[in-house]
Amino acid sequence: MNESFRIAQKLGLMFKPSDPLPKDIEAWALSQLQAASPALGQAYKFDPIEPWPNNLQPNLKKRAAMWRLFRENVKKERERRDGQETEAAKQANRRNNLMRDKDELKFAHRNIYGDDQLRLRFAAFWANHFTIGNTFDTGSMIGHAIDEAIIANLNGDFANMLYLMTTHPGMLTYLDNVWSAGERSPHTKRCRQRPDCQAGLNDNLGRELLELHTLSPAAGYTEADIRNAAMVLSGWGMDFGANTQEMLEIAKTTNHWQAFKPRYAEPGLKKVFGKTIYAGKNGLKQLTDYLASNEHTIQFIATKLCQHFVSDEPKQADIAYISEAWRQSDGQLDAIHTAVIKRAIASDEAKFIWPMTWLFQVIRLSDATFFKGWEDIYNYDEDIMNTRKIFAELGQSFWSSRQPDGYSNKKEEWLSAEMLERRIRFADAIYSIGRVKHSTTAIMDRLGVNDTTRQLVASTNSRRHKFIALMCSPELMGLSYV
Amino acid sequence: MSKIKFDRRDFIKASAASLFMAGVPITGYTKDRPPGNIAVILLEGGMDGLTAVPPIGDPDLLRMRASMTPTDYLTLNQFFGLHPSLANYAALMARNEATVIHATSFPYTKRSHFEGQNLMEGGGLSPFAEKTGWLGRALELAKLPGRALSLDMPLILRGYNDNDTFFPASIRKSKRPNPNLVDMIAMSHQGDVSNLFHKVAKKSANKINIPRDATSLAKYAGQEMARSDGPVASVIRVREFDTHANQVADNGEDMQGRHAIQLTIVDDVIAAYREGLGEAWKDTIILTLTEFGRTVAANGTRGTDHGYGSAGLLAGGSIRSSNVIADWPGLRKRDQFEERDLMATIDYRSICAACIERSLGLDHDRIASEIFFDPQLPRLYDYIFS
Repeated sequence: MNESFRIAQKLGLMFKPSDPLPKDIEAWALSQLQAASPALGQAYKFDPIEPWPNNLQPNLKKRAAMWRLFRENVKKERERRDGQETEAAKQANRRNNLMRDKDELKFAHRNIYGDDQLRLRFAAFWANHFTIGNTFDTGSMIGHAIDEAIIANLNGDFANMLYLMTTHPGMLTYLDNVWSAGERSPHTKRCRQRPDCQAGLNDNLGRELLELHTLSPAAGYTEADIRNAAMVLSGWGMDFGANTQEMLEIAKTTNHWQAFKPRYAEPGLKKVFGKTIYAGKNGLKQLTDYLASNEHTIQFIATKLCQHFVSDEPKQADIAYISEAWRQSDGQLDAIHTAVIKRAIASDEAKFIWPMTWLFQVIRLSDATFFKGWEDIYNYDEDIMNTRKIFAELGQSFWSSRQPDGYSNKKEEWLSAEMLERRIRFADAIYSIGRVKHSTTAIMDRLGVNDTTRQLVASTNSRRHKFIALMCSPELMGLSYV
Repeated sequence: MSKIKFDRRDFIKASAASLFMAGVPITGYTKDRPPGNIAVILLEGGMDGLTAVPPIGDPDLLRMRASMTPTDYLTLNQFFGLHPSLANYAALMARNEATVIHATSFPYTKRSHFEGQNLMEGGGLSPFAEKTGWLGRALELAKLPGRALSLDMPLILRGYNDNDTFFPASIRKSKRPNPNLVDMIAMSHQGDVSNLFHKVAKKSANKINIPRDATSLAKYAGQEMARSDGPVASVIRVREFDTHANQVADNGEDMQGRHAIQLTIVDDVIAAYREGLGEAWKDTIILTLTEFGRTVAANGTRGTDHGYGSAGLLAGGSIRSSNVIADWPGLRKRDQFEERDLMATIDYRSICAACIERSLGLDHDRIASEIFFDPQLPRLYDYIFS
C-alpha cells in the first residue's frame, strides 16, 4: 500500500473514494487529533450523510429517566397491568427506553462516515481499555461513556479520562460498585444491627482499577491495596434508575455522574500503593490522579498503545518514546497520541487490524452501505442485518457482554479458522448488498497494493471473488506488507 | 425443589480422603489403553465451589455464609451437598459416573481473573509464560485433534496444528466460502494464518446449522467426538461466574441468583455431552476448570469476591465410582486462605493430568514434565479412575 493508506490502515479507518489523499501524511495524521468529531450517519440506507439527530442522543439524565420508565413497564408486564403485557407494548418499551441499539448503530455510522478517523481509532483504544461490558443494565450507558467520557475528552489528559470513566454510572454498575459500602460506614454499621443485613465492601472495581485501568499486576500491589482502593470507591454510584428526589436526599445531586453517598463511604484515611488518601468524595480524584501519573501506569499503557498501533511485540524504544511523551506532558493525551502516531509511522511492520476496524475499513474503501439508517433500526430489511447481529457474527462489539480486560491487541487471540471464515463471509455480504460502486482494480490502484495482493486478486475469476480476495489479503488484514 | 436424599452407599468412598500436595507415584496403570475422549468446560469468572458443592457437614458453613448457602441442596453424603441446579449431575453421581474434587485450585493465589485464566488454560508455571495451552500440548504429544466450540481458538487448545474451532455462522447475503477462492487466499498468507485459511476451505464443504447456546454446542461436540474420525477433545466456555453482586437473588431465592443460573447451564452442558456422545460416553471424561473460587463470606452486595479454592466437577463413563475427593481444610477463619478464601489442598493440575492420562493414554511423568513443566506434580489418577 502507498504511504497514505499504510498510515490510514494502522492509525485510522482508511480513506473513502471521495476523500482527497493528503500530501503530507504525517502532518495530516497529527492534525486529525484536532478534527471535528460529529457523529455522522444516515436516516435511511443510501441516504445522504448528515449528523445524528439530537433526539437519538439523550444525555445522562434522560437516559436514567428512560431506564427507570423501562423498569416500571417491565414490572407492569409481570403484573399484567395497564396493557403493558401485550407484545406491542413490550416491544415499544424496549424500543423507546433502551439505548443500546441506537448507540451501537451510531458508533458504526460515525466510524464509517466520520472524517475524524484517527480520533475514532484512539477512542476505540480507550473504550477498550476502559471496558464496560454489557450486563443488560449497562446497555444504555456504554454509548454515553464512549461519547462523553472518551471522545469528548480525547484532547484532555489521561487523569481526567480515568476519573470520568471510574465515576461513570456505566462503570460503577458494570463492576458492582453501586451498593458497595465501607465496613465502618454509617450504612453498614446500622444495617448490621439487623440479623438479615447485607452490607459491606465489594472490591470488584477497586481491583480492576489497579489491575486493568492503571498500575497492572507488574506493579506488585497487595490485596490490602485493592481493598483500600475499594474503600476509597465505597459510596460511589447510585442505582441508575433511582428517582431524582431519592438521589437528592442520598447523594445531594441529581447528576448520576456525581453520585456519591456519604453514608456508604468508608470514613478515615486509606493507604493505596503507598499514597495516603483522604476520606470523602474528593478522595477518589486524589487516588485516580495518583494512579494516573504512576510510572507503572505509564509503562503499562504505553506498552498497550504500542501493541494496538505499532506492533504486537513492541520494541523497548517505542515504549520508551511514548512513555517519555507521557511524562513530559504530564499525561496530556494529545502529546501521548502524537508520540503514538510518530512511532506507528516510523515502524514498517504490519499491524493486525481488529475485526470491527477491518469491517469499517472495508466499507469505507469500497463506499459500501452495510448498516441500516437510524429511522430503520427496528424495521426488517431483507438485505441488511440488525446492527447487534452484525457485530455478534463478527465476534467483536463494545456492546457485547465480556470480561473487563476487553479485547486483545495481539493477533494471536484473533486467529482461528472461524474468525477468518467470518472475514470472507462479511466481504462477500458487503459485496452482495453494499452497492459497491468501485471495481476491485480501481480500489487496488488507489491503495497501491503490493505484488502479493495483486497476484492473489489476479488468481481469482469473478468480480465477487476479486473483491473478497482483496479484502482478505495479508496486506488488507494488516498481517504482512510483503 | 424438594430435598433429595440419596442412599449413602451409592456415594462417597472418600468424602475426605487424605491427600496430597506432595504425593508418591502410584504404580499399576497400563499404558496400552485405547484413547478415550476429554471435554473441558471453562467456567469463566470464578465458580464458587461452596455454592456448587456446599460442605453441609461443616459446622462453620452456615456460620460463615448463611445467606449464600442453598437450603434445597441435594445430599451427597453426610458432609457434602450438591446445589439443586445440578440435578442431572446428581443423577450421574448416583450412577457412579461423576466425581467432585473439592478445595482445589491451580496453584495461583493472586485473585486476578486474567492471570488465573491464563494459568488454568496455559498450564504454565507463571502467568502469561506460555503461548500454548495444556490440552493443546497434550494433543500434540498424542497426535490427536481437539476442537473448541467458539469463534476464537482458546489458549487451552493452542499448541497443536490439527486443533480446530467450530462456531455456527449466520451472515445474511453471504454464501459458504468457495473452497478454491479460500485456497487462493490461503496461499497468499504465511505460516499459521495460511494453515487456518486452508482449514476454512476444507470446512466450507460441510453445512452445519445448530443454535449457539452452550448446550447445543455440547451436544454437537459430543456427536463429533463420538465419530471415529472426529476430535478426541473439545472445549466449551460458560461465562459469567463472577458474581460480586446478586449471586443469590434479592428476594433471597437462591435459584434465581446468578450462580444458580450458571450452574444450571453447566448441568445442561454435561447432559448434552452425554446425549451427543452416545456409546462414546463410556470412554469419556468431562471436567470443569475455573480460575479461582470465591470468598467464604458474602460481601456487602449479595455476592462474593475473588478467592482461591473451588471445586471441580468431573463426569463421564471413564469414572468407575463416584466420590467427593477432598482433603477438607475447614472453614474457620484460621483455616481459610489469608482469612478470607477456601484453602486449596489439591493441585488441580494433578486432576487435569489424570484426565489426560485416562483419555489420551499418555504417561504421567511425561504429562508432568512436558505439559505442566513440573516433574514433581503428584499423580492422582487412582483416586479418580480406580
